[in-house]
Amino acid sequence: MSSVELRKVDKHYAGYHALKAIDLKIEKGEFVVMVGPSGCGKSTLLKTIAGLETINSGQVVINGHDVTREEPGDRGIAMVFQSYALYPHMTVAENMGFGLRMAKRPKAEIDAAVKRAAKILRLEEQLDKRPKQLSGGQRQRVAIGRAITRSPEVFLFDEPLSNLDAALRTQMRVELSSLHAQLGSTMVYVTHDQIEAMTMADRIVVLNKGQVEQVGSPLELYANPANIFVAGFLGAPRMNFIEARVETVGAASLTLTAAGMPAFAFGDIDPVGISAGDAVTVGIRPENLHVLERADAGQASFPGQVRLVEHLGRETVLYLDASPLQATNSDSGTGNFTVQLNKVSPISVGARLTAGFEIAGAYLFGPDGRTLTSRKPVPAT
Amino acid sequence: MPDVSEDAKLQRALYVGGVTLVVALWLLPLFAVMLTSIRSNEELMAGNYWGWPQKFSLIENYTAVFEQTAMLRFFLNSLLITVPSVIGVLILSTLTGFVLSRYPFRGSNLIFALFVGGNFLPAQIMMIPVRDLMVRLGLYDTVYALIVFHIAFQTGFATLFMRNFIAALPGELFQAARAEGASPFQVLRHVVVPLVRPALAALAILTFTFIWNDYFWAIVLTQSDAVKPVTAGLNNLRGEWTSAWNIISAATIFVALPPVVMFFLMQKHFISGLTMGAVKG
Amino acid sequence: MPRFWRRNRHWMTPALLLLPGLILFSLVILAASFETVWISLLDWDGIGAKTWVGLANYVELAEDPQFYVSLKNNIIWLLIFMLAPPIGLALALIVNQQIGGMRILKSLFFVPLVLATVTVGVVFGWVYDPTYGLLQLIFGLFGGTAPALLSDENFATFAVATAGLWPQIAFCMVLFLAGLNNLNEDLIGAGRVDGARGWRMLRHVVLPQLSQVGFIAIAVTVIGALRSFDMVAVMTTGGPYGSSTVLAYQMYEESIFSYRFGYGAAIATVLFAIMIVFIAWYLRGLIKAERSNA
Repeated sequence: MSSVELRKVDKHYAGYHALKAIDLKIEKGEFVVMVGPSGCGKSTLLKTIAGLETINSGQVVINGHDVTREEPGDRGIAMVFQSYALYPHMTVAENMGFGLRMAKRPKAEIDAAVKRAAKILRLEEQLDKRPKQLSGGQRQRVAIGRAITRSPEVFLFDEPLSNLDAALRTQMRVELSSLHAQLGSTMVYVTHDQIEAMTMADRIVVLNKGQVEQVGSPLELYANPANIFVAGFLGAPRMNFIEARVETVGAASLTLTAAGMPAFAFGDIDPVGISAGDAVTVGIRPENLHVLERADAGQASFPGQVRLVEHLGRETVLYLDASPLQATNSDSGTGNFTVQLNKVSPISVGARLTAGFEIAGAYLFGPDGRTLTSRKPVPAT
Repeated sequence: MPDVSEDAKLQRALYVGGVTLVVALWLLPLFAVMLTSIRSNEELMAGNYWGWPQKFSLIENYTAVFEQTAMLRFFLNSLLITVPSVIGVLILSTLTGFVLSRYPFRGSNLIFALFVGGNFLPAQIMMIPVRDLMVRLGLYDTVYALIVFHIAFQTGFATLFMRNFIAALPGELFQAARAEGASPFQVLRHVVVPLVRPALAALAILTFTFIWNDYFWAIVLTQSDAVKPVTAGLNNLRGEWTSAWNIISAATIFVALPPVVMFFLMQKHFISGLTMGAVKG
Repeated sequence: MPRFWRRNRHWMTPALLLLPGLILFSLVILAASFETVWISLLDWDGIGAKTWVGLANYVELAEDPQFYVSLKNNIIWLLIFMLAPPIGLALALIVNQQIGGMRILKSLFFVPLVLATVTVGVVFGWVYDPTYGLLQLIFGLFGGTAPALLSDENFATFAVATAGLWPQIAFCMVLFLAGLNNLNEDLIGAGRVDGARGWRMLRHVVLPQLSQVGFIAIAVTVIGALRSFDMVAVMTTGGPYGSSTVLAYQMYEESIFSYRFGYGAAIATVLFAIMIVFIAWYLRGLIKAERSNA
């Protein structure tokens, strides 16, 4: 029995289709991260599970019970909000015990639950303080503690780390993962940060424009994005895209041309529905781009000029201007390539060089954005 | 303040002095009334209206107000009218403001617009039916007529005030409470009421001043001295004590005292409330 | 039943919480206001039978010279009240300085605002007193004799409206001070960097940012002038010979003293019709301002 199940969940606002018939199953004990750009519907979907948003059609099932028409408090969920939503007039202990107090549980039970949660989150010293007296990270933990005291079936997190600074965010990511291991509860987590998604999730749900683009483990989604959207969304730095044209169609390969590049062949392809003249997109992860000493037969290559160099210590990121090649990269902008080198590089701004990539490691997307390249192996974990 | 030259200090002193003079002129009428309120009757008879009093009759004049006029009664009436009205307004507007800010439903904006719009209506447009209503309910010429009316009327302004305040509170606090199973009534009691205390303070002093200072409804809805508030009482007094300016002045100061004291005690609340009221409606 | 309540309390509790305030307000304020329009079509002494007279009250009003006196006086009030925003702005600018002691001076300026209009009426009644008043004192200094303003039909309205100006200036001052408090610090800084000082700073940087609050001050002042009643009732009771009445006071007099409730209601309706133009204008401005801020 799955812990949370969404069946054809549909939601309209005035003149705006927020959720389009979403189907999703979340297993008991799973840590599922819903990720997508702002406005994709991920928060709405989470609030739909919580019951804070009503839906126009479809069903929300939690632990086998249809809760579509139940109040949030009756659904067996607990939610952690982006702003933490701590009551400023209550102490930490009162904040954490609020839900049980509202349910008129006996005082001893409330105290025990608060103590237990405080111990898990190392908040024992802070119980008598007000939220105002706490640091950002402590407030975050109180918000989580408030969820723990209710011992819910499902934890819902709405971008809980986005108000923290970078260092604290990394730390809380680790803490949340270990909390999940410790409690073993089902957790649904919404974020726009793909690093949080990659690092914490058992499974990632990629949402875009109110639709599920793809569901799968982080490495699966990274290795085998179903379409150009998922490919561009996951991975840092982001994937480079080149606009190309199909010249000839083979049995399992295509020959492509792109402005400023010699024609090259793309193998391992299911070319169903593709014909000569179609506009396709080649996707190359920055770590698959190399600086070539000389042209190499196994690699497609193009000339470029270095616009910017970022030295990250062990790695170097180059931003290349490769015009007239039609390139896009959402990190570095239209007309630019991002190249990630696994070494300190002496290349400096203004340098002209030849960049190349192994076609076997690249992706090809059809005119509709669907991935054409066949499955790549997923590294074992 | 570090490093202020003597020159600048002098300039500042002159500036403050100048503004003090303007304030003195601005409040001159009031000072004159205060001065007269401690002047003896004999002096007034002798025509010493503006000179420094030769004899201070502060105690005598104010005692006279208490003993020879019904002002004390009026004062008590004003309290009996104002305090329950303010409490009623605070309660009703917390409820309406909470609902209108946190539970949008079809028509909630229209209801809100009615509260706001009604707040601008001139008193005269509702005078006849309200008076008639109070007569029919048997409340005419009782403090209850004024209490009921003031609660009803001020609820318009107060709803606007409370709705805007509660709407400005973080929405996630309310979602969190709901997610934790708090009923709307529990949200009201455990979240809204503790958080709106500053707004209630501002609203309390504003409505206190409005209601205490009301004159129109006092003369429309009451008749007898036993229920009349200070404003109507003071005006009557003027007719009875035509040239006893010292007594009338003392009574005037007596009437003005509560709102002025409240104002100085809770000035910040008063100003913020008034500005918000005007700016938002 | 508990289950029904649990599932529906989400909307039923709010409805129950809203109702007391809504019912009271609708019944006492809104319904009464509409009823007045209805009563204006009746002949009614407030006690006896009501007789339908159609628009007769309005026809009579159109031929009533007293109505035009009131209307004229309301306009005089309006014109005199228009002094309140500029004076209030000037005072606000004067006290808006970070100098020690300014705070208490500022509060003293606000005092007229918390006084009851009756109190203001009494205070100014005394200022205008032709024998002992402040005005006489001033005239006396120059060897003259103060006119008896309140018993002179040419001056009475001006005198009363001027008294009403006192708290109104304080009100405008409060509004402008709030506006000055909310000034965009960056713009002031930028102005300073660009070398704007003193008058130029005021004219080009400060005043443009006060336009919204200025609009509010003017609108509130207009509505205040049209609503005026207390001061007239306290200072002149409309006299001498009805020369200082305003619509609100005439309405009151016709109803309470002459028992002509239908006629009074007609005056109230006309007053309301005039005001609604300004109220609508004000609300429109507010909504526009709110939208541009959002």
